[in-house]
Amino acid sequence: MSRPEPPPRGARTQRSSGALRWRAWARHHRAMAADSARRLLRRPLGSLLTMLAIAIALVLPAGLWLTLDSARLLDAQLEQSATLTTYLEEDVGEAEAGRIEQALAAQAGVAATRLITAAEGMAEFQQALGLEDALARLETNPLPASVVVHPADADPAAVRRLAEALAAVPGVDEVRLDLAWLERLRHLAALGQRVTLALGVLFALGVLLVVGNTIRLAVESRRQEIEVVTLIGATHAFVRRPFLYSGAWFGLGGGLLAWGLLSLGSDWLAAPISALAASYGASFALPRLGAEGSTILLGCSTLLGWLGAWLAVNRHLAEIRPR
Amino acid sequence: MIAFEHVGKRYGGRYDALANIDFRVRRGEMVFLTGHSGAGKSSLLRLIMRLERPSRGRVRVAGHDIDRLHHSQVPFYRRQIGVVFQDHQLLFDRSIYHNVALPLEIQGIERREAARRVRAALDKVGLLHREAALPIELSGGEQQRVGIARAVVNKPALLLADEPTGNLDPQLSADIMGLFEDFNRIGTTVMVASHDLALIARLRHRTLRLSEGRLVADEEIA
Repeated sequence: MSRPEPPPRGARTQRSSGALRWRAWARHHRAMAADSARRLLRRPLGSLLTMLAIAIALVLPAGLWLTLDSARLLDAQLEQSATLTTYLEEDVGEAEAGRIEQALAAQAGVAATRLITAAEGMAEFQQALGLEDALARLETNPLPASVVVHPADADPAAVRRLAEALAAVPGVDEVRLDLAWLERLRHLAALGQRVTLALGVLFALGVLLVVGNTIRLAVESRRQEIEVVTLIGATHAFVRRPFLYSGAWFGLGGGLLAWGLLSLGSDWLAAPISALAASYGASFALPRLGAEGSTILLGCSTLLGWLGAWLAVNRHLAEIRPR
Repeated sequence: MIAFEHVGKRYGGRYDALANIDFRVRRGEMVFLTGHSGAGKSSLLRLIMRLERPSRGRVRVAGHDIDRLHHSQVPFYRRQIGVVFQDHQLLFDRSIYHNVALPLEIQGIERREAARRVRAALDKVGLLHREAALPIELSGGEQQRVGIARAVVNKPALLLADEPTGNLDPQLSADIMGLFEDFNRIGTTVMVASHDLALIARLRHRTLRLSEGRLVADEEIA
């Protein structure tokens, strides 16, 4: 059905062109963005408390996510260091060891190999254990030659299959791999991801509730205004707009506070964590929110604020009917 | 301009606020709507503003069956009607100027054009010098005039008023009615609900009288 024909005297208002209409629309958006920001600033303490509640709800999932992210980096490093050690039979001479290494290198799924002869193995062993004198007294070298194999695919199942293939190569005595800890780490990471996701969803709901409640009060306090503008022809979009901006500002403010809390937190934890890592001989630092992470955090918090406001306004606009 | 065709409005399933209302108002007419409180005056105006929908019959405004308007079209329909309320419904957190500018702001009228129209409307009701004041600083009669300025700033084809003089003394009431007559003279269709029978009798316009939800008299005064 078409819109009612504008009556003659009202015609002038209907004639404004699309461009004018768009400009008016953009102007109203700017005005409402500024107006809702001013309303927030007029109640600084209340606004700050709302934002703080949002920030606290965001910090925990965001912090967990950061930790998991750094664990993933660690995992990637560990994957690269996942190697198989292939011990050759004791009576294999140096020349034959070289041939066996080539045979191993020719296997599918092998990225690189490195031959450690019995003598090299002994030297490494002595160095590592500081037992040079004791071992030097041995008449024969008890260590076999070995080949360190770097797998092309670090996936545990693939590595296990490769180990079986390598064990079948003639001259190979034993293949050693220790994948259990890598698998455990992966399971832990997967668990962590799920916990983070669940917490993220829960806390996002919390943000929606916090913003929704604040906006509900704002709608209630401007009830008369909403009734009046509805009576004189305001669309739902027009009525909703200032509240949606308020919600977005709350979300953005909460996101900025969360960002600040996260930065403070990682500063505060940085010293003990690097000390702990150093004691394991590793270098590990909590990653900070980079440009991308910050954008995601602020974007999500703003969106959540907007969404919370949208839900609250729609729910309460239906209740407000002009008298 | 307005046509009620056997309109009934029933609330809560059994109470008939309006029953079998049938009348027409021509474009450019000025009509009073009278009756005791509870006679159905406000319900009738609410039907025209499409705040309510009729339980039976049809309400046509400017040739359109307004019951069939999609809810998204209702705001645009309301923009063609100026409404004056008994309690004037001004917003007390903003100046007289911004109260009057509200309908134009809703329609996205360009600011300079809006300023021109707001000042013209305020000038017509004699309050141009108070544009920066807040509603609370004005007397009851002045507040009602601001309400009228807001209703006409948009140059509506139809002007509705629900007890616009309800709280005013006789002299101020006569002034307000005079304003409605001025707008009617320049072509606006005006419908005023009032129970101020003495004043209505003096002004000599067509009068629709409601009693217990029925139209009991339609007096055309030549």
